[in-house]
Amino acid sequence: MVQINFAQKQVNAKIVYYGPGMSGKTTNLEVIHQRAPEPNRGDLTSISTDGDRTLFFDFMPLDLGTVAGMRTCFQVYTVPGQVYYNSTRKLVLQGVDGVIFVADSSPDMMEENLESLRNLQENLSEYGRSSEEIPLVIQYNKRDIPGALPIEVLEEKLNQRGAPAFEAIANTGQGVFPTLKALAAAVLDSLHKSSGSSVPASAPAAQPVAAPQAATAQPSAPAPAAAPAPQRQTISMSQTGFHKAPSLPLQGAAAPSEAQAPDKGARPPQNAATTPGPQALGGLQLKGGSEGDGGGLRMAQPATPPAPEQPPTQPSLSMAVPPQPPAAAPAPTQAPPATATATAKPQTPPANRPATPGSMMRPDGGSPPPRRAPASKSFPSKVQEAHATPKGGKPKSAALTVLIVVASIGLGAALGSFVLQIL
Amino acid sequence: MTHDEKLRQAQLVFYAEDVSEIEQELDGFLELSGARCAMLIDRGGHLVTRRGESVGESPESVAALAAGSFAATREMARLMGEDDFNTLFHQGTRESIQLSQIGDRALFAIVFDDRSNLGLVRFYAEESQGRLRELFQEMTRRQAERVDEDPARGLAADFSSSAAAALDELF
Repeated sequence: MVQINFAQKQVNAKIVYYGPGMSGKTTNLEVIHQRAPEPNRGDLTSISTDGDRTLFFDFMPLDLGTVAGMRTCFQVYTVPGQVYYNSTRKLVLQGVDGVIFVADSSPDMMEENLESLRNLQENLSEYGRSSEEIPLVIQYNKRDIPGALPIEVLEEKLNQRGAPAFEAIANTGQGVFPTLKALAAAVLDSLHKSSGSSVPASAPAAQPVAAPQAATAQPSAPAPAAAPAPQRQTISMSQTGFHKAPSLPLQGAAAPSEAQAPDKGARPPQNAATTPGPQALGGLQLKGGSEGDGGGLRMAQPATPPAPEQPPTQPSLSMAVPPQPPAAAPAPTQAPPATATATAKPQTPPANRPATPGSMMRPDGGSPPPRRAPASKSFPSKVQEAHATPKGGKPKSAALTVLIVVASIGLGAALGSFVLQIL
Repeated sequence: MTHDEKLRQAQLVFYAEDVSEIEQELDGFLELSGARCAMLIDRGGHLVTRRGESVGESPESVAALAAGSFAATREMARLMGEDDFNTLFHQGTRESIQLSQIGDRALFAIVFDDRSNLGLVRFYAEESQGRLRELFQEMTRRQAERVDEDPARGLAADFSSSAAAALDELF
């Protein structure tokens, strides 16, 4: 649900990128983070495995600034695409306001696309929500791969609802922003439950449940106050500025066919020689999770120096504790070390990772951001201290020792005087 | 859908008077417990309000991660046949954070350091949780009565279009 906070003069909405594994959800988010002006973007946080696969979610706040007196902010999430992570994927959908379904255009991925779409409906229904009622935009990603399925086929299979749809090559930035803008417009529009009451005629009209009227595309790169028409829209890249792209400068961008590796093209390369370092991206990347444990947290924080020399294992303690009266729990006594859930370790620098040929170009002519920066910052913790002797333990034993010593001396003195008296 | 489910699904709008009461409660808690910061986070991971010192450069990210962390814990509880783990505690070297559930709608996140201690925080947090729960119930009840009204009626008429235009300017 969109949070409207009149006290803070703030409107917050939650947008989730959904789709099968490796379809390009995280890449979409990275492009948005990379291209958003510094004051408008928050940290890009990624909880992922060492194989750059999203484990829980990626997250970044996108601040539109003050709109009509209200600070308007989108919280943009991705979900883990792999089937295995359904439980965590479902959690991310909690309180969602709009979904961008990122489909993979590869013919081999159609079944995964369909499965993911079904899974989206199932997970939404577990929150008592219907996929029909939630603003949805579909992005057909990886349009440049050889043998990409025709849009008509994808539309027929995946977009029976007639949601606005866009073609994209996410790792070059193409199609990323039209998709985001269309969903944002739909989400903002859905704020007004009673249609027409306070929505002006010029309001964005990207109706999420628009009836499919035309299989052909409608230009919908949303111009200010002129949003996608409320009908089925399949937006081709040429229509969204694929070649011109006033909002997507493509200086030095390669031709689409050269711009992406067929399979893992949705992942930006990790080659330090061709990718900007974390400083260039304005980010320290912070990751919890050792190389071996398969879990990590990364936060890109602007203008923070990297800290690669942190100790490799700094478990942070995390546990659920039932409420208890303070008398029963005055100190951190409920902290078994076995519950330590995360370890932090410096990451392998991107220079060690293989580059992905053909996916080097980013819309501004540089390279996409590395998924992982060489720097990492450990989470300090004090598990050992938490299990130290309970407070008061040492003083008590010391007092006991003193008492015994004093008693022994007294006893010795008494015995000595008694012996002296006898003598 | 049951009445309770309807209440849970209803959009919660935070008005100045509601948030003022919440902030008073949080201020009182901070004073008594000596904690650094108290945040109220909605179940979607949005920050409702924060009192006390700032935590990190991005409270929005902290709120999102806290909500995600708590949601994962709740799922664990469900898998284990527990009704809920309603409190979650992360201990660090300098800072610790406790997350508690406030009804079905919100989380109460408390950040504290060595100026306070867990026992003190938990004692006063439980008291505040009860009062915050009542506040939320009252807010939910009031808003459920007005469920047919447009929750965004307090926004400017051109809010949606202005926001879309702002997004266009951004990219």
